Amino acid sequence: MKRAALAALLALSAGCAAAQLLDFTAAETSAILRHGPWPAPWTPDPSNRGSGNPEAIAFGERLFFEPRLSPSGKVLCATCHAPFRGWQDARARAFGLTEVERNTPSLFNVRYNRWFGWDGAGDSLWAQSIRPILDPREMGGSQAQAAALVRGDPDFSCRYEKAFGAPPPADDEALLAGLGKALAAFQETLVAGRAPFDDFRDALQKGDRAAAARYPLAAQRGLRTFVGKGNCGTCHFGPAFSNGEFHDTGVPFFVAGGGVDPGRHGGIRKLQGNPFNLLGRHSDDRGGKSATKTRHVAIEHRNFGEFKVPGLRNVALSAPYMHNGSLATLADVVRHYSEISADRLHSDGEILLKPLRLSAGESADLVAFLESLSESSSALPPRRPGTPCL
Amino acid sequence: MEERRDTVRRHAQALIAAALLAGAAGGAPVCELPPGTRLESKRLVLSYRSVPSRIAVGEHFALELAACAKPGAALPERVKLDAHMPEHKHGMNYRPDLKPAGPGRYRSEGWLFHMPGRWEFVFELGSERLTHSVQIE
Repeated sequence: MKRAALAALLALSAGCAAAQLLDFTAAETSAILRHGPWPAPWTPDPSNRGSGNPEAIAFGERLFFEPRLSPSGKVLCATCHAPFRGWQDARARAFGLTEVERNTPSLFNVRYNRWFGWDGAGDSLWAQSIRPILDPREMGGSQAQAAALVRGDPDFSCRYEKAFGAPPPADDEALLAGLGKALAAFQETLVAGRAPFDDFRDALQKGDRAAAARYPLAAQRGLRTFVGKGNCGTCHFGPAFSNGEFHDTGVPFFVAGGGVDPGRHGGIRKLQGNPFNLLGRHSDDRGGKSATKTRHVAIEHRNFGEFKVPGLRNVALSAPYMHNGSLATLADVVRHYSEISADRLHSDGEILLKPLRLSAGESADLVAFLESLSESSSALPPRRPGTPCL
Repeated sequence: MEERRDTVRRHAQALIAAALLAGAAGGAPVCELPPGTRLESKRLVLSYRSVPSRIAVGEHFALELAACAKPGAALPERVKLDAHMPEHKHGMNYRPDLKPAGPGRYRSEGWLFHMPGRWEFVFELGSERLTHSVQIE
């Protein structure tokens, strides 16, 4: 009997501990609320007339899983962006026809980005979707080859016309832009589901302390570090946990063979020379506001070695981490920021990052918080059946 | 209500500044400052406002700027605008343009503040340097 009572008491204390809510300050609460609600509002991309169009989405999905976009017939978009691996490949560095120098980013929430790719060389998702098709190390295709594929395949030609209201054009470059837009329309549907953090954040907003207290205590402590001592929310800002910009985080940018990955600096150069950028003839919003960023982006010396701030939703599903996949686990990432060396930063005087010097407990709590940003269940619709285009 | 009162107060400040400038100039054309945040230096009075009025992290905005020279001074030809985060020691990732919109009037497009926190606008008009801090959430 005594043993049973003790067990009940222990269970009750465990229950109380599990239902505890930290006393977040008003400033902390305000910072926490910035990371929602989720899903965040989104409007179709005005530079892509296929954005949000079901026919373009269906066509883009076909293209995403189409191996013939690569002349080798062996590499498709889904080779690196595998649906069952969180739309990435779980490798340190991507491998298409050969290995490249950067990690494959997950496609979850890609529609919320301002810039695309680790260096932001793409100013639209559709322009970014063209890049790997043409890269000799990834899919190794060409404009002419992709255009011939679509023109020569009655199902693809039919889908192109349904998506864009006109048959595939004679201009190869314009046709490739259309393929990029269909691919982008599909990828815009890849949105992370709600995570345990979202239930906590919404409960906090409503003042529902009982519901908020269901969020694990370790995650609450980690969240406190994230918005406080860690100052992580300055860059990992907003509902998608990214400010969409670029920073040097002290990750080495030397690549195999003795070269250097120029990061954002090289990305801006590539952007400016890209015929598919938003100032070019293929944008469906050339005079509109979507090109403002491209028109005004500044290139500075400090951009060398800067890489994009990744969003953190579903971060537990996208290991390994950083632009070169050099950190295997979330614990490694936390350790990196805890021990970051100011000498490795090329920040031209910027004083944003400094070693956090986290204790073992603080580090474990921060990892618990980051893990709570991953979806409880997938929000993605099942793949559509492969009905022929009529 | 508070916002309306603030707008009325700014209008009044602008009119007073304009009247002072006109009076001092002895019948010279009146230099009126539109509503906005008013800054003053030895030789200039300046008013600026953002469009849209609320600046959000990660959202592009424009600035409308108007300047009036004080008595005995002239409006400088060289005008330069910028912004930075003093605590972080970094500026913007974008370079806004600046287009004249009438005598002493300018419109500047391409602004974007990419982090929450304190940002400082810097207005350089000739040798005059005026600054104004805003808190972005």
